[in-house]
Parts: sequence; C-alpha cells; structure tokens
Amino acid sequence: MFKRILLANRGEIALRVQRTCRELGIETVAVYSEPDRHQLHVRDADLAVPIGPGPSSESYLVIDKIIDAARRTGAEAIHPGYGFLSENPRFADACETAGIAFIGPPAAAMRALGDKVSARKLMEQAGVPVVPGANDIDPSDLARARAEAERIGFPLLVKAAAGGGGRGIRVVERLDDLEAAMRASGAEAASSFGDATIFLERYIQRSRHVEVQIMADAHGEVRAYGERECSVQRRHQKLTEEAPSVAVDAALRRRMCDAAIAAARSCGYRNAGTVEFLLDDRGEFYFLEVNARLQVEHPVTELVYGVDLVRQQLLVAAGEPLPPHTRPLEPYGWAIEARINGEDPYQNFMPSVGLVTQVEAPLGPGTRFDTMLCDGLDVPVFYDSLLGKLIVWAETRELALRRMRRALLDLVIAGVETNIPFHLALLDHPDYVSGAVDTGWLEREFAMPDAGAGDPRAETALIAAALAASMTSAAANGATPAASTNEWVRTNRLRALEQRAGAGGGRGWRRGTGS
Amino acid sequence: MATRHRLVITGEEHSVVFDDAAGTVAIDDGEPLGLDAAGAVPGVFTLLIEGRPRRAYVSRRGNGFEVIVEGRRFLVGPAAAGGRARAGLGGKDRPGEVTAPLAGVVIEVRVAVGDHVEAGQALLVIEAMKMQNELQAPVAGTVTATHCQAGGRVEQGALVLEYEPDAG
Repeated sequence: MFKRILLANRGEIALRVQRTCRELGIETVAVYSEPDRHQLHVRDADLAVPIGPGPSSESYLVIDKIIDAARRTGAEAIHPGYGFLSENPRFADACETAGIAFIGPPAAAMRALGDKVSARKLMEQAGVPVVPGANDIDPSDLARARAEAERIGFPLLVKAAAGGGGRGIRVVERLDDLEAAMRASGAEAASSFGDATIFLERYIQRSRHVEVQIMADAHGEVRAYGERECSVQRRHQKLTEEAPSVAVDAALRRRMCDAAIAAARSCGYRNAGTVEFLLDDRGEFYFLEVNARLQVEHPVTELVYGVDLVRQQLLVAAGEPLPPHTRPLEPYGWAIEARINGEDPYQNFMPSVGLVTQVEAPLGPGTRFDTMLCDGLDVPVFYDSLLGKLIVWAETRELALRRMRRALLDLVIAGVETNIPFHLALLDHPDYVSGAVDTGWLEREFAMPDAGAGDPRAETALIAAALAASMTSAAANGATPAASTNEWVRTNRLRALEQRAGAGGGRGWRRGTGS
Repeated sequence: MATRHRLVITGEEHSVVFDDAAGTVAIDDGEPLGLDAAGAVPGVFTLLIEGRPRRAYVSRRGNGFEVIVEGRRFLVGPAAAGGRARAGLGGKDRPGEVTAPLAGVVIEVRVAVGDHVEAGQALLVIEAMKMQNELQAPVAGTVTATHCQAGGRVEQGALVLEYEPDAG
C-alpha cells in the first residue's frame, strides 16, 4: 500500500478521501489555491503545497503544478477526486510518465469511453443495450440520416459526436425538422468541438437516470455494487440520490449489474467507475455513459453495501486484489443523499457565497454529513456550489425519508443561503415520497412553496429578530463606557477569545450560556 | 413595559409587541402568545412560544438579522423608515442604483458611462460558483457611473452601477 498520496482536489471530496487515508495510516499531501488556504483538507493534511490563485484554470486544473507538487513531496500516487482533472486522460498519462500511480482508470479506458460514439460502438459489441440510434453521420448526408431516422422513429435526438454538457443536442419531433436540426447541431459541434460529426438516438421520454457502481482490480475481478437512483435533477444537475432505486427489483438489478460489468470489461476498466443508464417506464434500460471516477453520490452505495469505496480505490491502484465480500452483493436498507448547495431556492437557485458564521451538523443514528464547511469558512466564488452532502441510512425507504427530514431540520448553516428548504419541500411532495419521478419531473412538476406568508417558521424568526433587536438597543442605550460596543460585538469578541484559547471544548459554550 | 418593533421579513412589514409584565408577544396586534425567552443570548435562542420550544439561530447582518429556523434562513430587517433597504434584506434597489444581488467576480461590464439602456438590457455579468448571472437594467435610463470592472470581485449588496432614469 502507498505511504503517501496527493489529493488533487478540494472541498468535501478531498476531505472524504483524506479521512480514509488517515484511517489507513497513509500520509496525505494537500494542494490548495490561495482562497483555499484555510480549508479543512489543508488543515488535516501531512503536507500542503500552494498551487496558485483562485481560478481553477490557474491552480487545480494545471497538470504541471500538480505533478510537480507530487514529485517534490514524494507522493507515490494521486487521487483526483471528481471534477477538475479526474477524467482527463492527459493527466493520467502525465502521472504515468512521472512514475506516480493515478488512482483511477487507465488513460486508454478513459479515451475509449470519453468519446460518445466510440463508447456506443464499444457497448454494442459488448452486448450492452444502447439507445437505438445511428452513428457517424455527416451533417450533409441527408439521405442516410432520413433513412436512419425513419428506422429509429420519432421523437429523436440529434447529438454531436464530440459533444458534452448538452451542447449540440436537438430534439426532432418529425422528419420535416430533421434537416434544420442536423445543420444546427453540426454547426454547433464544429465550432465548439472542431468536429461536425453527429449521431442520432431515439428520444426516450420520461426515463429515469439509474447508474451502477463498478469496481475493477488488476487481477480480473470486476464487481458491481448495485444501482443508484438519480432522477431528481435540475438543469441536468443531480440534487438528491438514493440507493437502491424504487424502480429496480432483484432481477432487473442482476441484469443491470451484468451489463455494467460487461461495459467495464469491454475497455479494460480498472478502479471505481459508474455506468449510467436510462431506465424507461417499461423497465428497459439503455447505456448512457461511463463516469470514469468516484461519483459525488458514492456514499449512498457505501451505506447500503457496507463498503468504503475510497479504500477499495487505493487497494486497486496499489495493485492489490479487491477484498472478498463477506455477504451477497445485495443492498441492505435504504440510503438517501441530499446535496447541500450554496444557492437560494426561493430566488431561482441563485448562487450564494460568503462567510459561513456557524455550522451545526446533524448527528444521531444513520446520519452522515460529508462537508467542507466549518465556522469561519469563506466560501470562495471560484468553484461549484456544493457545500456538503447529507446522507442518511435506515432500514426502509420510508424510514430513510423520515430520517432525512429530521437530519435536515438539525442542520444549521449560517451566513450563506442554502437549498435546505428545497430538500424539505421535496419531502412534502407525494411524487417524491412515492418515488414516481423521472429526469424531467422536477422541472415539470415541482415548485417551491410560496416564500412569503404562510410559513410558520417566519413567526418564530420574527419574534427572535425582535428579541435580538431589543437586546441590541438595550445594550446601545446603556450608560457604560462601552456603550458603543453593543452586545453583539462583545459576544463575538468573547467567542473569538474562547475559540483562540480553545476553551470550553468547542461549541458547548453557546448553549451553556443560554441555559 | 410593552415594546414595539417594526420589522420586514420576506418582503412584508410586521409589528412585534413584547409585554414583559404579561410575558407575551403579539404579532401585528393579534392575539398575545405566551413567550418565555429566559436567558436568551445572541446566537441560539430557545424560545418557548405558548409552551412549545422553538429554536432560532440569530446573528447580525448589516442593520438587520439573519435568523435560521428549521432549515430556513430568513433575513429580517428594520422597517423602511431610515436605513436603506438592500438587496438581500428583502428590499429592492433605490431608483438610479444597481447593487449586486450576489457576491462574485465581475466577468463583463457591458455598458459604459453615457450609454442609454432599455429596461431589461444586460448591464453586467457576475459569476459565482461557475454560474453566470446577468444584471439587467430595471428601467430605461442613462448610465452615469460604474463602480466595478471586469475581473474584480463584488460583495453582495455592493453598489455596482448608477444611472439616471428616463423622464416620464
């Protein structure tokens, strides 16, 4: 096993990987941009290396800086987390050239899967179901496109072969619209990706996004840890995930896992990966793509399968075989994750950054909070809005939903807006509670409750604020020499002093003075 | 002694009256509710309202307060008299001023002093957390000053642009 690894990431995922390393006695090297100097993963690292200013294009995305940091600190391996360089085959190549183990799949597998059309062909050969469609269409070859479109049926999607992030995608409802869509998609693909090649795919409406966690070692073992249900999405961003899925029974799970294992074998995959599928309302599933990395939502799988996926990643990257599993690979209980984002659900999910003045994490049975938050953290503007992930486990889905509500109510984040009210409102929606969702459901059916009148929480907030106002004015009107130093300022100073002295064992003082 | 407070929450103004002798609180002169706020200090309040415990996390924000109750964060500001209502405290910008609705990095300033803009026209783009947000002109007018530049950081509520609204 490695003695020292570098974490080429930040935020909650750097902390997540680091925790497993610390448990296993592996030293960690943190890299950080200037605004991340005081992040928890830097604090808890054995070594820390600055890699430049805030924008990720000048820090976390600069391959040379990361490799250089690993070399200088003697790190034997690099964990890329998710995002940033995690699915960049050039980064995997650079690690190999530098003699550093990349904790992820081989660059060749990433390349084979990174191109949507080559991935499609690979899956067709491996017998993995793909959405009916037609590959490699020249946007000017209308005759072939028409013939293929009639075979596939409408509505269908025109997609850029080299695309990503939803660019170059057009929905075509009927044959007459095909030519215009091909031209637009081809032009967009040519300008965005330098390749005008397109492909056609049947448009499967009202489908679920269900994905299978795979883990493969260098000794021929490929394992599937069941599915995750990720259909609740806004603008293609997942907001909550669960394992297992209400739409998957044991027989379907077996078929999906077998398909995912075949997908992994088709490209010589190693380490952790996720095979994404569309699941339609008749229980048919189709290959979508492979996410060649650890996913944000991996904890729900960890909880229902009783595994530490990061530990397995480290073992595999060190060339060791996957540990044998001690019980059948079936999910036990139910796990749900809520992504806690810095955004205001009452203002169209507008991002919110700033100084986090107070954090209280929920505790209690079956409750896990993976977060980068701590009191006094200034959330930088440069990175994504994920502040943390609240994950609960319970014996059944119904109990897990109840536990999620309880945990959300116990989670306090002061200083920035969060989407906690969104998650609470979601738990009130009968479709979500019954699991009757698809990838379009949230945007089609869900609306936040009215922000104004009628929220009983506002009454409590109003009374508390009025009470605070009367305390403030009482302090300001006092005739003491410190009259201008109001209660708030003094309390904050006291707090700062106590924190500096490390007195009172952390957070207890707040409650202690109020009792 | 009864004390009255006028506060704005979620864009609406309300009155809160404490009657210390009776140990009650009344909102908008409604029915008094029994209130036990014993030992409340800034930070976490555990209030007993009609005997029911209610937890509120309170901290200063500008000239108002941030209050978190059961997962929801409220910004409670003083009522309109005096003090300018800022974006983020439920208020709108004053005529002639545009403030940043969120903290972020200015990606682009699309107008210059002297430009005439139509209502809804994009003035500048602020990026936060990899999302770009366009600030639009609330009404037609002429730009008289800009207080930010591309690449610079702005805080929430900061004055970023001034304009002279068109007459009429």
